[in-house]
Amino acid sequence: MRTEELLINMGPVHPSTHGVLRFKLTMDGEIIRKCDIVMGYLHRGTEKLGEMKTYLQFVPYTDRLDYISAFPNNYAYVKAVEELAGVEVPLRAEYIRVLTLELNRIVNHLVMLGSLLLDLGGSTMIMWGFRERENALQLFEMLCGARMTFNYIRPGGVREDLPEGFIPKLNEFIKDMENRIVDYEELISGNEIFIMRMKNIGVISAKDAINYGMTGPSLRGHGVNYDIRKIEPYSVYPDLDFRACVRNECDSFARYMVRIDEMRESLHILRQVVDAMPEGKPTSQAKYGIAPMTGAPTAVSTYFPRIFTPPPGEVYSRIEAPKGELGFYVVSDGTIKPYRIKIRSPSFCNLTAIPKMVEGLMIPDLIAAFGTIDVVLGDVDR
Amino acid sequence: MNPAEEIKQLFPGSVVSTGLQTNKPLATIKKEDLLIIAEKVKEMGFDNLSLITGIDYRDRFEIIYNFFSYAKKQNLVLKVILDHDKPEVDSLESHWKVADWLERETYDLVGIKFRGHPNLKRILLPDGWVGHPLRKDYDMGVDQFVTLGEDGEDIVSTDGSNLLRR
Repeated sequence: MRTEELLINMGPVHPSTHGVLRFKLTMDGEIIRKCDIVMGYLHRGTEKLGEMKTYLQFVPYTDRLDYISAFPNNYAYVKAVEELAGVEVPLRAEYIRVLTLELNRIVNHLVMLGSLLLDLGGSTMIMWGFRERENALQLFEMLCGARMTFNYIRPGGVREDLPEGFIPKLNEFIKDMENRIVDYEELISGNEIFIMRMKNIGVISAKDAINYGMTGPSLRGHGVNYDIRKIEPYSVYPDLDFRACVRNECDSFARYMVRIDEMRESLHILRQVVDAMPEGKPTSQAKYGIAPMTGAPTAVSTYFPRIFTPPPGEVYSRIEAPKGELGFYVVSDGTIKPYRIKIRSPSFCNLTAIPKMVEGLMIPDLIAAFGTIDVVLGDVDR
Repeated sequence: MNPAEEIKQLFPGSVVSTGLQTNKPLATIKKEDLLIIAEKVKEMGFDNLSLITGIDYRDRFEIIYNFFSYAKKQNLVLKVILDHDKPEVDSLESHWKVADWLERETYDLVGIKFRGHPNLKRILLPDGWVGHPLRKDYDMGVDQFVTLGEDGEDIVSTDGSNLLRR
């Protein structure tokens, strides 16, 4: 028997879309035949705003892209600017940056796990995840006074040095987290309902996943052994021992397991960073390309210049953010403001694969698959 | 071998120049030959189209494709220069599915048209929006108001006087 196809709107305001995203689902009974995604409800014109700000002024705007993990956003932009301007960064600043990046990766995965399980109907994980996240946010607060929008990593280094008592508190967090991850696995990984909802759901082949532009942990669940920290090393990652976490099953469960593995790997990196943290200044004090209108640079500057002019040119620089490949394309025309900033956001490109992934599945499976892709709408709409 | 040079050897007539984009091999190519070269680029193993950037240089548009090969761990950048009066280029959607949205975004914000794109309409801004914001001559002084129509579609107008809040 043939039934009529039905158009169902899911969103824009729906709890499991983690923001304002709208799915237009063409349903054949309970089966999704076609999935259209409507977005842009959170578009703030970040790229246009960037053209009107100086290089330093744009840093806080990057916080608002992926607000769950703002440090990687800061860093990706700053890295592009530093490559463009040829800024040398002190080693201590690089170590502090890696520390924040990995801490933020754990926070991101905690939120992802929590919201995934909440969408599937289990509310324990979000309580547990947010409990540990609170400890990490307190560390961030110690570091820069903010809990979510940091504005901490800046061209030339970081804003401030590590505060007193930070490292002992971080060590406590690391020690606590190790046991917590075991708890999470006991809670989730063996749960029969969870496995039924995740295994063999949202399957897409590795070739398709690449073609649809998936990156990051979502792609590593498809057996693609790739990690930008490994293949295009940046910062101090070449000196650190870690591995790219890969799973081969290509389904939602594999993408979930990659996150669990990555949290362990991040803890491993954090431990090394704490041990190897060098002494020194957290900011470069080189006098680099100060704009003529600000006058002659003083003989000794105590901070990196707030206004500087990279030479004309363009750069595309990308990092392994918690959600995938985050890149900034920055074009300089030799003035104090960037000529053009283009943001390659991981959430936007990962979302491309969803319509293909959910064809022939049911709406609850869409929620499960969508949860494992881990998007933040601030990052999608920019 | 540098993939940009390789393309130059294969298509000597289509490549305008080769060089570097900071540290990535870059080939500037003629806009007519983009599809043929893209096919070759795909064959060469560049399976990931990382980014499409459209830039308005006032006298011309530049569109930049950043490719990456997972197998060879190589980067390649293709650059196409378009006329400012008629910014139009072939779509790469048939080779890289991710180009679908990336091209729609470029069309939406920069106003470059992609020939052969199956669904070329605005993606971030509502349908009916006037102008392309990332163009340098975009008029930022004009307010545009978006309201929801009867069927949930977006209605854009420049008159906000009858709205509750400004």
